[in-house]
Amino acid sequence: MGFTQNALQIKGIVANANTLEPIEGAAIMANGLFSTSSVTGNFTLNNVKEGTYTLTISHVSYATKTLSIKSGTTEETYKIFLEEAATALDKIELNGKTKKRELKESPVVAQLVSEAFLSNNRENSLMQTLSKIPGVSTINIGSGQSKPVIRGLGFNRVSVIQNGVKHEAQQWGNDHGLEIDQYGIETIKIVKGPASLVYGSDAIAGVVDIQPNKIPLKDSFQGNVNLLGESNNDLLGVSVGLEARNDKWFYRGRLTYRDYADYKVPTDKISYENYIFELHDNNLRNTAGREANVSLSFGYTTDRITSETTLSNVNAKNGFFANAHGLEVRTSTIDYDSSNRDIDLPYHKVNHLKILNNTVINLEKHNLNIDLGFQNNQREEHSEPIPHGYMPTPPDSKERRFNKDTGTLNIKDAFQPMANHNIVAGLNLEFQDNKIGGWGFLIPEYTRFTIGAFAFDQYELNSDLHLLAGIRYDYGRVDSKAYFDWYPTTVNNTDGTSSEIYLQRAQDKTLNFGTLSASIGLSYLLNNTTVKINVGKSFRMPLANELASDGVNYHMYRYEKGNLNLDPEESYQIDVDIDHTTEMFSIGISPFVNFFENFIYLNPTSNYYETLQIYEYTQNKVFRAGGELRAQTTIGNNLQLNAASEYVYSRQNSGPKEGFTIPFSPPLSTLFSAQYQFKDLLFLKQPQLSADYRMTAAQNNIVPPEEKTDGYEVLNLTLLTQIQVFNLKSPLDLKFKLNNVLNTEYYNHTSFYRLIDVPEAGRNISIALTQQF
Amino acid sequence: MTFKTSYLHLLVAFLFLATSCSSDDGITIDEEKPTITINYTDGFPQACQELTKGETYTFKAQVTDNRALAAYSLEIHHNFDHHTHDDQGEVCTLDPIKDAFNPMMFLENYTLEDAPTFYELNISITIPNDVDTGDYHCAYSVTDETGWQRRTSIDIKIVD
Repeated sequence: MGFTQNALQIKGIVANANTLEPIEGAAIMANGLFSTSSVTGNFTLNNVKEGTYTLTISHVSYATKTLSIKSGTTEETYKIFLEEAATALDKIELNGKTKKRELKESPVVAQLVSEAFLSNNRENSLMQTLSKIPGVSTINIGSGQSKPVIRGLGFNRVSVIQNGVKHEAQQWGNDHGLEIDQYGIETIKIVKGPASLVYGSDAIAGVVDIQPNKIPLKDSFQGNVNLLGESNNDLLGVSVGLEARNDKWFYRGRLTYRDYADYKVPTDKISYENYIFELHDNNLRNTAGREANVSLSFGYTTDRITSETTLSNVNAKNGFFANAHGLEVRTSTIDYDSSNRDIDLPYHKVNHLKILNNTVINLEKHNLNIDLGFQNNQREEHSEPIPHGYMPTPPDSKERRFNKDTGTLNIKDAFQPMANHNIVAGLNLEFQDNKIGGWGFLIPEYTRFTIGAFAFDQYELNSDLHLLAGIRYDYGRVDSKAYFDWYPTTVNNTDGTSSEIYLQRAQDKTLNFGTLSASIGLSYLLNNTTVKINVGKSFRMPLANELASDGVNYHMYRYEKGNLNLDPEESYQIDVDIDHTTEMFSIGISPFVNFFENFIYLNPTSNYYETLQIYEYTQNKVFRAGGELRAQTTIGNNLQLNAASEYVYSRQNSGPKEGFTIPFSPPLSTLFSAQYQFKDLLFLKQPQLSADYRMTAAQNNIVPPEEKTDGYEVLNLTLLTQIQVFNLKSPLDLKFKLNNVLNTEYYNHTSFYRLIDVPEAGRNISIALTQQF
Repeated sequence: MTFKTSYLHLLVAFLFLATSCSSDDGITIDEEKPTITINYTDGFPQACQELTKGETYTFKAQVTDNRALAAYSLEIHHNFDHHTHDDQGEVCTLDPIKDAFNPMMFLENYTLEDAPTFYELNISITIPNDVDTGDYHCAYSVTDETGWQRRTSIDIKIVD
């Protein structure tokens, strides 16, 4: 490490004093030298001469810090911890508010998830990564796919928004996940509560709002490469992202590819009812998959206008467990065990194409947001053709095909008609065209048009007391198309004869819906305490399958029957959030009480149709209550302890299942975590070790056809560190993660494979490398 | 620390609220599935049993429930493609895979009127003379009033 006197450097790292997370974009000035901190918080001042330097470290969201250092021959990395501006500065101009401060002032109970959180906690799918946040859980389908669940509600009751546009896929289906690349996301806002006011239908339980990425800095070019390897399912993943900007024009691009084999479970046989499936090498047969994603965007930015157009495509193929498709036990001549990497029948494949344009126009008193989007989602489910009931052996493996085109236009205007009032008014338009194919019928073809208008006012009574009130009206129209079976069914006539009839499964039907939603909330900041209370009414329009299903789902051994008389779901909720944060510790509680006037639910009846149990969509009153409790403390400068609990109680208060809970209710769960920041160790910079211990109680509140699920405890360990290689300005980030350290055999109540008694994945070692450049 | 304790009290109060709302209002929910079995002397058919074309058989199974049985069904379909196997724990020797021409198909649902807690299914079926011989699959299922279901299936053969 020899260097001449002229080539001295001052190196340092800037981090958040509370969270210890690195701060990106902090400006470092010292005696005429200048640098900015990277994503990892690192900075280097070059051309340093020997002597004393006064460093000024500033960032818009943090209090500026000044310190004197002596440059010399030591290669010390200075650690600079910045206090968040919101706590450091009392009076701060509106446009200088940090995102955190804004979030505190908004009465909406929401949580921001940073890029650092995402990369430090990255799991196999975006939602599995987010499930560490109290109140957020997932419905997992194998190792690579999952669906969001917020406080026990999922499917179409949670809206996923990307760059302002609602992600529209086949959310209603329970055997596939979210088609979003989890790399390259900078910030996610999670709303745990009804949010129809701003987000429209479906945001009845909450929102996962993936926010547009920050515009790159002027005259910059940067990128990163992520490599991931996992032992449990032999996963190999690579993601490369680039972004550049000259003066006004900027570009971004990302490529992600992941390929994984069957995942391993800590058992060599699955006992499902009276069946026993022997597993080869602990592999959950045929659960391999792959995913290839690409996204490209270009944009233009000035003080007046910023416009970015993004084109992205997510393509994935995943196998389903071969021994049971749904609940149906299958035998096959396919040699599944010859390779754990191939994807045989049954499998699904999906392609999601998105073209979005986000434009922000800053007028003198108005801030206009226009989001325009087109999405195409194509999903196919393939299985070995076999006859079922009156259906003869189908000609090919294409059982189901869903093709959805969605067009979206959102216009939002934020303005300040008078001091202390911030009004936001907006319009959302969406049109969907759903086509179907394949030999298995579940839902009819349909088109859907929705239009909604909203306005809300955030009124600043004083700098610490904010009131938010808003109202929204939506109109929706669903046109479902007729469908006839492609094979005849023998129907007994009243005169004793029988006829062969091509049964009609769905009718041409037009349904109209109109709903009003509203919300009012208060936020009060008192020194280190923030109190929020929010009362809201949200809604969800019934889906085509809920309205017009009339088909046999052989894999689930059921006949699903829709109900054209369903009303839009209406839900009332009170949310409270109390947070107390000091330098030493932070504690928070967010309880809620929720009442559904008419919760839509697929109810198993006592009756049969062609020897399959009839499940009927019904609506009834549901009461829910629960919440999250979180606590955090820092011991010394290096140890941080966290605990977070989540609980939801649900009960149907009317209808055929009165007294029962609702399906997929997550059990009481607590996550304890500890993080220790070590000193640099040889070439390892800033090694940080964390342990996550999750304790989940048994779920004994079930509704037919669910099974009770035992509680479990599972331990994960993570080591984060950095190595300076390649002479690049940013070090190489290393992450070693050991999931399910004890190879515990446990069941997740909300996992898709729980139905056939498949335990969760066994021990997994993963290594992730990230290099910024 | 006073903050911590006051928040803990808040939590306790809130959990109490949550659970008190759930206090029972006379409804005791039924969490028990019905049962179904062919594992008794008269149970029919038994695993790997051969049924002769033209003969009439009485299909028998016992069903029970803690509260009230509601409906049951019987299905017979061919297994010429070996797509599945039964849950009786016995492995039957299957004939080679073949195409179906005129397989026997039986799909029938029945309702139980007087909500019994015990019942013996008793279904008389004549195996038609013109159906394909070979491997078949016979599946019983039963529901209770609440909507719980139980199924059982048996591998059988139809022979000349």
